[in-house]
Amino acid sequence: MATFFGEVLSVYSRAVEEDDDELDDENEEDEQIRREIEEKREVYIEWYPDVTQSVSSGNCTLQCSDLIIAVGPNASGFLSAYVLNTESWDAVGHVSLWNEKSRCTSRQPPLPGEPACRFYRHRDNPSVLMCQSTCYVAEDQLFQWADKVFGSLLNRGLNVMVLSDSPVAEYKTPDNLYGSAVPFLRSLKSSAFKDQALCPALEQPNILTGLPAAVLSHCQVHRIPAVLYQCYTDVIGPDTVTMETYKPALTSLSKLVKLEPCPSADALRRFAKVSEAQSNLYT
Amino acid sequence: MAMSYDRAITVFSPDGHLFQVEYAQEAVKKGSTAVGVRGKKIVVLGVEKKSIAKLQDDRTVRKICALDDNVFLAFAGLTADARVVVNRARVECQSHRLTVEDPVTVEYITRFISSIKQRYTQSNGRRPFGISSLIVGFDFDGTPHLYQTEPSGTYHAWKANAIGRSAKTVREFLEKHYKEEDMESDTEVIKLAIRALLEVVQSGGKNIELAIMKQDESMKVCLNLWYLYSKKIAAV
Repeated sequence: MATFFGEVLSVYSRAVEEDDDELDDENEEDEQIRREIEEKREVYIEWYPDVTQSVSSGNCTLQCSDLIIAVGPNASGFLSAYVLNTESWDAVGHVSLWNEKSRCTSRQPPLPGEPACRFYRHRDNPSVLMCQSTCYVAEDQLFQWADKVFGSLLNRGLNVMVLSDSPVAEYKTPDNLYGSAVPFLRSLKSSAFKDQALCPALEQPNILTGLPAAVLSHCQVHRIPAVLYQCYTDVIGPDTVTMETYKPALTSLSKLVKLEPCPSADALRRFAKVSEAQSNLYT
Repeated sequence: MAMSYDRAITVFSPDGHLFQVEYAQEAVKKGSTAVGVRGKKIVVLGVEKKSIAKLQDDRTVRKICALDDNVFLAFAGLTADARVVVNRARVECQSHRLTVEDPVTVEYITRFISSIKQRYTQSNGRRPFGISSLIVGFDFDGTPHLYQTEPSGTYHAWKANAIGRSAKTVREFLEKHYKEEDMESDTEVIKLAIRALLEVVQSGGKNIELAIMKQDESMKVCLNLWYLYSKKIAAV
């Protein structure tokens, strides 16, 4: 091809496929790198020994009638304060994964307070499972997470409830939100869920993202009845007022397990971030 | 959607919003509550004292500032912004005294503060001040005033108002319980301010700071006034 400056360039024709021996070698290396990255980003569910023992077949599947998942610090704090505060819950497993923001790769149980994805089972009613997820699950790991978690459970007769936090800045509405009741709950459910949700449905054009969306999509595809309660809040960290917004979910939870009547204010404050006595930004 | 119109302050959104200014008003709501009541011969400012760290000297955490002998101000919002605004207002008060040989009127200094705030909503590269303030005082003819300023640079005169965290609740209380004839009595004015604050202040009355100015007297800041008036309020 002639150009304006006199030099001649050879151009490749897209009609003819070139021999690409060199590109094959590169592809192998690329493939190896890709495989290594995939392995590194694999999601593993670690079930603890007492659970794996109680399951007969090699493929570890737990009998589960109700799965409650909490995603985010406020949802997890709510479960810790209102449900997990009784002594009747056993830690039965955790998820280990690696991504840029979460390094919970240890096969050992995570330390309390560390961001992690933990599973608990009720002692008196072992088919009730609870999952608290405070670590970040990357987009490419979401499908694996949902697949593996639900793959470990016998799906027959399974009901799922998801509690998730979201910043109110992401809530899109034509109305003026200033001064209205923040935090508030919105719900979404799968088609198989026949009961009434406990709060208004999430209006368009709002969408869910992340782990709650992956779980709900999985439930919709596999026709598992699932309901999700999304709490929109204007506080960054765990906060007692936001945690109390999830209280309507207690009515459904109390049908499954015996709950403490009401946790004391001190108990709630333990799960909330230390209030901003140290922060002099606002007076 | 607000996202693309809220970066630069000098840009209007298609529906006429200045989002940075509106967000500044959200910053005000993060500050603790302040209430102001204007009586016939007394003006009262009440603030919720925020909890401070154990080792912090609480004399340096002030929500009520004197601008001059006859004017004082309570703010809610960003502490550092308030410091800057209050400093400029104090300099202006003295400058006014030197030039005109009279103390400022409450309205003058309010207008001055509001003009500063408005200028910052129309300049490139700056953000609005994230504070609202309640300015009270007496003019040299003895008229009491209460003004409220906002991050947008507006100011209005009020008979009673509240700013900060639960301002809406306090304002509703004031609207319900404000009685024109009660404002003749200094005690009733103080009681109204305290009771309004008690609607929203956590853990009772120990976290209230009150500033009172009576006609022809200088401002008094009463830290534990609650104990003097608690019996009267309990009786009401």
